[in-house]
Amino acid sequence: MNAVPLTKSKGRGCLGRRGSPPSSLHRRHTRQGLAFILPCFVLLGLVLGFPMVVAFVNSFTPLWSRGLSGFTIDYYRRLLQDPIFLNSLVRTVYFVGATVALHLVLGLGMALVLNSAIRARRLFRIVALLPWTVPDVVAGLVWGWMYDPLSGILNDALLRLGVIASPIEWLATPSLVMPSVILADVWRGYPFVMLVLLAGLQAIPKEEYEAAKVDGANAFQEFFHVTLPHLGRMIAIATILDVIWQARRFGLIWVMTEGGPARSTEILSVLAYRQYFKFFNFEYASAMAVVLALILVVVGLPYVRAVARRA
Amino acid sequence: MNRTLARLITYGFLAVMVVFNLVPFFWMLSTSLKTGPEAYAIPPTWWPLNPTLYEGYGKVLLWTNFPRYFLNSLVVSLGAALLSTAVGALAGYGFSRFFFRGRTFLIGVLLASQMLPGVLLVGPYFKMLARIGLYNSYLGLIAAFTTLTLPFSAWMLKGFVDTVPHELDEAALIDGCCRRQAFLRVVLPLITPGMVATLIFAFLLAWGDLLWVLCLTSTDSMATVTLGLSRLVTQFRVLWPQLMAGSVIAVFPPMILYLILQKYLVQGLTGGAVKG
Repeated sequence: MNAVPLTKSKGRGCLGRRGSPPSSLHRRHTRQGLAFILPCFVLLGLVLGFPMVVAFVNSFTPLWSRGLSGFTIDYYRRLLQDPIFLNSLVRTVYFVGATVALHLVLGLGMALVLNSAIRARRLFRIVALLPWTVPDVVAGLVWGWMYDPLSGILNDALLRLGVIASPIEWLATPSLVMPSVILADVWRGYPFVMLVLLAGLQAIPKEEYEAAKVDGANAFQEFFHVTLPHLGRMIAIATILDVIWQARRFGLIWVMTEGGPARSTEILSVLAYRQYFKFFNFEYASAMAVVLALILVVVGLPYVRAVARRA
Repeated sequence: MNRTLARLITYGFLAVMVVFNLVPFFWMLSTSLKTGPEAYAIPPTWWPLNPTLYEGYGKVLLWTNFPRYFLNSLVVSLGAALLSTAVGALAGYGFSRFFFRGRTFLIGVLLASQMLPGVLLVGPYFKMLARIGLYNSYLGLIAAFTTLTLPFSAWMLKGFVDTVPHELDEAALIDGCCRRQAFLRVVLPLITPGMVATLIFAFLLAWGDLLWVLCLTSTDSMATVTLGLSRLVTQFRVLWPQLMAGSVIAVFPPMILYLILQKYLVQGLTGGAVKG
């Protein structure tokens, strides 16, 4: 009856099995499927694939130069000896590591609170989500203004509370600027992790908690033996996606500090942008971006594999 | 005793987080209602002494190019969102209904393309668009934003097509529809809510971008809201009431849309790993 397999369970049975001779049915099916996805991949190749290749080529040779004689790996060799690049790489790891860790801690905390029996849960859920709806550029602007040494709300509050004796230059002090930027980013970024983990929490079967209670588990044992194991997958997904987004972060840092003062917030995306569009070191900037892209693809690969196989 | 402590910790944490979440919004709104001199008062006033709409909202809308930025953001974000939703719906159907060889690989490519950082692509875009005369144009920006929105849209729409029982298209095929009709007449109407959600998320993805617009436009008349606001900051005298009023206006549409559509978001981004 069902000539054309339509679902995974049925589909796997009669086609796609490696080594089996392709039937005419299989060929027709493949052709139809490809016809539907073709526009997407043609467009993707045009707007994304081609520029990606150009960027890769550009990291070895100036663009639109004739022949292969100009090819050199010097730009990559230079990267390895360039303290500005290496420092920026370390700074990127610091920024991404700190923001993602804090997103996870606050996101998990907030998800647990919102999953417990509290009053006005829906209202608090909306309040918890609000910062994530703000474009990162705007988050950077608002926090930059809150950090204003004389007219900003943060120093004023800390002065009134007696925590500090004189105004602090949050964004002009090299040792304070990165934590300040990180705090602004954490404000904007943690609600997404919260949202994912909350969905994960709500999917845990209630019976497991009841079983744990019967076995006499306390709250901590419940958390470590029931909640965390169930959340593992969601935590992994949220972490990988967040690492990738954070490593690409640009707007927030650009409007707050432009990478300064004295490069103290110059993460790789800012450095590569500046090398390309301010100093016109096209090849060198491309090499930096390729390194960043490779790191991200490697980080993201487990997620891609796991999700694509299940799809 | 133990339960009281747990409740205390829960509500204490909640209270701290609510303050943390809301203070920036409070400061943004408060400043947007102040006059210029009051915004620079030392120490600052928390509530505006004489709240005024003109100094912030009036001036940013009348004296600056802000309405133009808003229009530009609208055009390019909507353009990219429409394009990627249309193409993404086709791909979503293809991936959901056909199990051809290389399918897993192509889905992997789609997902992996979301990992590429913008800084890798802006350089080549800048040079290529300049060559073909699309630098500083809507079309160039729409193409650029499509790199952000298309993989996301196609993936999200595949998830929505998955929720439509395949028996429905089978029935249509048996009744003599061809594939195209089964898709257009049976599946498409059923995933309309999903398409709207995808459209809006793609729109918001483009709306929040700064890097691409910074690199691919040169004139103020092509700037988007994010770029316009960031330029207002780097001018040597920052007019905070106007800037915060502009921020409020820039935040308002995404906030409403996100709150309406939040339940789709988790499914879309995590690949249906949880059903929210």
